[in-house]
Amino acid sequence: MAKSGLKRDQQRFTYLLLLPALLTIIIFTSLPALTTLSYSFFHWTGFQRGGFAGTENFRRLFAFPFRDSLFMAMRHNVLVFIGILIIQTSLGILIAYALYRLKRGQRFYRTVIFLPVIFSLVIVGYMWQAMLDPFYGPINYLLHKVGWDSLALTWLGSTATALPTLVFINLWRWVGFPAIIFLAGLNAINSEYLEAAKIDGASEGQIFRKIMFPLLAPSMTIVTVLTFIGAFEWFDLPYVLGGSSGSPAGATDTLALMFYRLSFGSVDSGANEIGIGAALGVLIFTVVGIGAGFGSKYLRSREVQM
Amino acid sequence: MIKTKSRLRGLMAAVFATAAIVVPITASPANAATEITFWSWRPEDKVFYEAEAAKFLAATGISVKFTPYVATDYNALLSTALTAGKGPDVMQMRAYGGMSNLSDAGYFMPLTSKDIPALAKIPAGTLAGAQGYTSKLQYGLPYATSVLGVMYNPDLLKKAGVKALPTTWSSFFAAMDKVKAAGILPLGNGSGYAPGMEQLWGAVGPTFYGGNDFYKNIVAGNKTFTDKNFVASLQAVKDLVAYFPTGHAGLDYNTARGLFANEKAAFYIGGNYEISYFRSLNPSLNVGWMPAPAAAAGTPRYVTNWADGGFAINAKTTNKAAAIKFMNFLSSKAFMQDAADSLGWISTISGVKVTDPAVVSMVRAIPSSGTPFLTLVGFRYGAPTSSSIMQPGFQKVAAGTQTAAELAAAIQAGVATWYVPLKGKA
Repeated sequence: MAKSGLKRDQQRFTYLLLLPALLTIIIFTSLPALTTLSYSFFHWTGFQRGGFAGTENFRRLFAFPFRDSLFMAMRHNVLVFIGILIIQTSLGILIAYALYRLKRGQRFYRTVIFLPVIFSLVIVGYMWQAMLDPFYGPINYLLHKVGWDSLALTWLGSTATALPTLVFINLWRWVGFPAIIFLAGLNAINSEYLEAAKIDGASEGQIFRKIMFPLLAPSMTIVTVLTFIGAFEWFDLPYVLGGSSGSPAGATDTLALMFYRLSFGSVDSGANEIGIGAALGVLIFTVVGIGAGFGSKYLRSREVQM
Repeated sequence: MIKTKSRLRGLMAAVFATAAIVVPITASPANAATEITFWSWRPEDKVFYEAEAAKFLAATGISVKFTPYVATDYNALLSTALTAGKGPDVMQMRAYGGMSNLSDAGYFMPLTSKDIPALAKIPAGTLAGAQGYTSKLQYGLPYATSVLGVMYNPDLLKKAGVKALPTTWSSFFAAMDKVKAAGILPLGNGSGYAPGMEQLWGAVGPTFYGGNDFYKNIVAGNKTFTDKNFVASLQAVKDLVAYFPTGHAGLDYNTARGLFANEKAAFYIGGNYEISYFRSLNPSLNVGWMPAPAAAAGTPRYVTNWADGGFAINAKTTNKAAAIKFMNFLSSKAFMQDAADSLGWISTISGVKVTDPAVVSMVRAIPSSGTPFLTLVGFRYGAPTSSSIMQPGFQKVAAGTQTAAELAAAIQAGVATWYVPLKGKA
């Protein structure tokens, strides 16, 4: 009897501890999400809510003229996800492995690699904008100096190079994050497995491929899911470097930028469409929620138990 | 006796204390304790507005807290604040469709010339810039007119041997060829800043599509964006791209303006608001201004102008009397003169003197050649706006991935989805 009373007290205390986080989530995530959902079912004139619209906002989102921008933005989000996942994750694993094997100075290099992650994104954006400036930027200046004129491109101004350039800048800033997660994953591997493999005559490459890499699966799940969420909610860097219209010519447009434009309008081009913006918000939320949920479940099912 | 004296002293103290609280309140309704908040999208004007706020405080005893936000975030921040029932007492409002959604939703206090007498002296066309789209009520005080045209550097033109200012499209190209041959950049404009492309078109386009006549016809739905003259106006921008600097696709707004300000480019097509930026980079810069050249000899030249920005009062302000007082201060000739001198405004209030020779030329040209900024004045009230299609479209046209006719068709198709007079028309 006394034991169950203690259990009840513990449970109450646990709920009490959960309460601040729960309230924060309800107030700042759940309520705005539900409000957005409700907005998507109404007609809007500017900021004035009109009558019930049913699914009309969703139909308009998938019809001309919004359809073209929607699919273009979605395509960019998918490309960014694939690009970041392949390049940033591979580099993250390599950096983590190098740090793991480093005998001296691991803490120093770890700090250096993680440093860009804590930089203000706006500063990073403007710094790279200045570096890549076709007239005064040091990158094109150096390319001209060494005679590689054909490589001195208008990196952020061309529709062909703008998105890959943004992915590169994102990589520069964020690569330290997966590297640290993978490093933590490597450090969690029981050293007995590695020693046993060494005694059995396994090469360094075999140890990495057959033991370390499979055991990094939990870290890979975290990185992949976070990359997916980040890629489909990508807003800050494209906004800083290409504005809310995803300049040049929509080449850096994303779903989140389109949501911003539709919901709040654009400084230089005017009117908003809150209902369609809300419908797009619901779409993004659904894609991210379902994608992250199923992705996480699938990846976890493939993890190797240590 | 001592007790009576003490009581008297106590009574006197109470009377003085009460008087100290009550007298200032009854003496002046808008007193030194009143503070009104004022929001703007112009952080660069902070020093100016704070100096003006000090003058207003000295004259009225009302203090003004000026809070500027980054221009690109201003609409979102103001909308969020106003829809939450908060926001500033007085604020800068964007013209025409820029904030008509807020005025139509009732977030701005309707203004009358009874409260703001200066409104009665502003021309009707200018007042339209700060009216609601559906209600047509006056929600703001338009404070400045913006003018588009061609700015030139007389020293660089002289150096290149250009003796007379070009008046036609062909003579403009001939002048730019001469400038180019002299090793000087003909045009500072680039295609990296999409709104800048629309402004460039706003300056050169009217002579091709036919200025005010076409404006009236398209607004009425008698003409469409696929009209051959409108397509020709878009093609004119494409023709100018050949004179843009190499790598123009990567030129941001300030770098492009910097090329003209730092005397690397002989021409820059833009608005009067560029001049203060030019002078901030190069105070001794010699700037001339001319209307965009005519499409051909004998065709009219136009000067695109519009009411660019206004001041509005929050409908839910708790400081209505003070806000109206401040609005009257903002519409005073003294304030407008300060703004003209410090910020280069072309004031909407008559009698304000303009000193910059380039701005003087603009002001003189408006009465005879003025035409509205078609896409800004007429088609920013629904989504997608003509501007939101035109701006990235011009970047595609400049890059050669879209033709002028294709862009015109895209604008027509997009605007026709919400603009009733153009619905069903191709």
